[in-house]
Amino acid sequence: MTVMETQSTDTAGTRRLTTAKAMVEGIAQEMERDPSVIYLGEDVGKYGGIFSSTAGLLDRFGEDRVLDTPISETAFMGLAIGAAVEGMRPIAELMFVDFFGVCMDQIYNHMAKIHYESGGAVKVPMVLTTAVGGGYSDAAQHSQCLWGTFAHLPGMKVVIPSTPHDAKGLIISAIRDDNPVVYMFHKGVMGLPWMAKNPRATDVVPEEPYEVPIGKARIAREGNDITVVSVSLSVHHALDVADRLAADGGIEAEVVDLRSLKPLDREAILTSVAKTGRLVVVDEDYLSYGLSGEVVATITDVDPGMLRAPVARVAVPDVPIPYARSLEYAVLPTRDRIEEAIHQVVKG
Amino acid sequence: MTDVPFPAVADKGPGSEGVVSTWFVRDGDSVVAEQLLAEVQVDKVAVEVPAPAAGTVRLLVPEEAVVKLGEAIARIE
Amino acid sequence: MTATEAERALDASVRVELYRTMVLCRTFEDAILREYHADKKPAFDIGAGLVPGEMHLSSGQEPVAAGVCAHLTADDALTATHRPHHLAIAHGADLRKLAAEIFGREGGFGHGRGGHMHLFDPATHFSCSGIIAEGYPPALGQAFAFKRQGTDRIAVAVTGEGAANQGAFHESLNLAALWNLPVVFVVEDNDWGISVPRKASTATPSNSERAAGYGMPGERIEDNDVEAVYEAAARAVARARAGEGPSLIEVHTVRLLGHFEGDAQGYRDDMAGIESRDPIPRYEKALRDAGLLDDTEASRIREEARAKVEDAITFAKDSPEPDPATALSYVFA
Repeated sequence: MTVMETQSTDTAGTRRLTTAKAMVEGIAQEMERDPSVIYLGEDVGKYGGIFSSTAGLLDRFGEDRVLDTPISETAFMGLAIGAAVEGMRPIAELMFVDFFGVCMDQIYNHMAKIHYESGGAVKVPMVLTTAVGGGYSDAAQHSQCLWGTFAHLPGMKVVIPSTPHDAKGLIISAIRDDNPVVYMFHKGVMGLPWMAKNPRATDVVPEEPYEVPIGKARIAREGNDITVVSVSLSVHHALDVADRLAADGGIEAEVVDLRSLKPLDREAILTSVAKTGRLVVVDEDYLSYGLSGEVVATITDVDPGMLRAPVARVAVPDVPIPYARSLEYAVLPTRDRIEEAIHQVVKG
Repeated sequence: MTDVPFPAVADKGPGSEGVVSTWFVRDGDSVVAEQLLAEVQVDKVAVEVPAPAAGTVRLLVPEEAVVKLGEAIARIE
Repeated sequence: MTATEAERALDASVRVELYRTMVLCRTFEDAILREYHADKKPAFDIGAGLVPGEMHLSSGQEPVAAGVCAHLTADDALTATHRPHHLAIAHGADLRKLAAEIFGREGGFGHGRGGHMHLFDPATHFSCSGIIAEGYPPALGQAFAFKRQGTDRIAVAVTGEGAANQGAFHESLNLAALWNLPVVFVVEDNDWGISVPRKASTATPSNSERAAGYGMPGERIEDNDVEAVYEAAARAVARARAGEGPSLIEVHTVRLLGHFEGDAQGYRDDMAGIESRDPIPRYEKALRDAGLLDDTEASRIREEARAKVEDAITFAKDSPEPDPATALSYVFA
């Protein structure tokens, strides 16, 4: 079952927010509702988060609820785990997902495994927020997405909002979930004033708290000719390409925004490809051994005959992300690459 | 009718220039007092601009256009 | 009685209780040792038998468990390592569920999913992990929550001396001191990080010295002295409960067995006469000399322990093996 939502409509109210502000609003509303929700991480206090994930929260909730940590990811990720075990609902921010190397043990061997190892006796209701993505020349150690790595390892949910609406709804769902949820926000969708302008980063967001279900994809655009499955910023690019192709080339692409990688809405992928018979996957994570292969396997595990043409995977090749702009944009899944892939798959 | 000026941004002098980086409302929208109208930026500092009054908002400058501190960026009618 | 023991004058009941706890721990480890090897003959096969996998027994390290846990209640948290049994037992974990989990059975703490290195007892806020030093950070979080909830509950985090060279150790000490968390850090220095002696791994003579570098008091207890551990722990626990922050206690203890069962210990140069370092007969003698234990009492204590442990082992063996069809249960709540 997929969710078809018209998210950008003026009839649903006119209050618009950037993705960053929507995320903050969701956190603030949950912090208001539940005193056990706290936010900890580097520069999340006065600075408001390097990518504005906590802007204004310190002023509103104080130092007891919004805590700047030392540069000690292992210690503070572990602290969040222990606090969650004892009944709190902490949100711990890993400033850049690229930093997971310094604390991955706490994440994948502890946060993600405690519930299973304890036979369900111990819960870890925490959220791990983290910034992902490139395109602004931050090079190999600060531009990765890595959601494939997190989704690959058992025991943690993984959600990736692409819109302001979903940013708020998914952070609320993540906080309320009794499981550990990794919430990955792309810097390029946050609507930050100091990054390249992205019109889709600002949109109408309902004022009241609401949940977006974890594990359900969203049909961002309906179409019959080809399915484009994506997540995060690439959804925006896919929509731009789809609009262009509909206007020029008469190709109607269906764009599926996965929103969750774990659990993965395989039904949504299957339903769409059953309809269109053609698939392009756009994944800003590395090509091999990751999300794009998993999406293809979702089809081939069930019925490869659904496909009228080979699948095209538009992903970052297996290379560290280069610094030079020309090189970086050669490896990112850009609109041009997406369009070329669609043409290729439509031709068969 | 109330003008909405480009706000003073922390320790930027009166001659400073900046941009409206994001409009959160559309021209002609009804707004309430304190509603978030825009985010503006001078150098690296970003500041939110709330509506000073309720009414219908008219946007006077587009996003990314260079504006001086104090210059009216919108008007509430 | 030595001069130090005379000076201390711990309450008789406390001393006998320390002995009783150590005997229970050792009796359990002896039983696991027996069960573990019973069906791995003629040649040791780590994956064979009723208790397959790695086994890290704590024989010799009982004074740490007894001396520290005497000051804890079931509401205090304790995180331990790959060598956890003595701490679980001293902290009050249910022996039957402990044994059943070690045997990988449905009746175990984790319904067989965790095993000997991944024991979780929410009733006593006990947990352990097989990753060196990584039990320290979650203990911080438990302490943080207890403090936030306005209680005087504390968290005790136990590692070995080898762990004191892992990043998590250093990060945790700093953060606990910085945020004034009610934590007691315990380092069991049993001289060996598997096969590497402390002097080949650690730049300072003791980790209690490192405590000062992180803004907290540190003490080193020599000689595996259970009463000295008891007294140091009393100080550290009282500090934590009073909101005065974390402390570190390092205990020079002894690992009577190998790092794991199956460890031939060819690298070890201190095995000659190691039985003389066994803390339990030594403490028993001290209590007998003090007139606090006689043959009857000592044998009663041992028999009680034996009965409890064998009951737990029987429970474990009778507990059903988990159904393979449920292998995916409990991934998510």
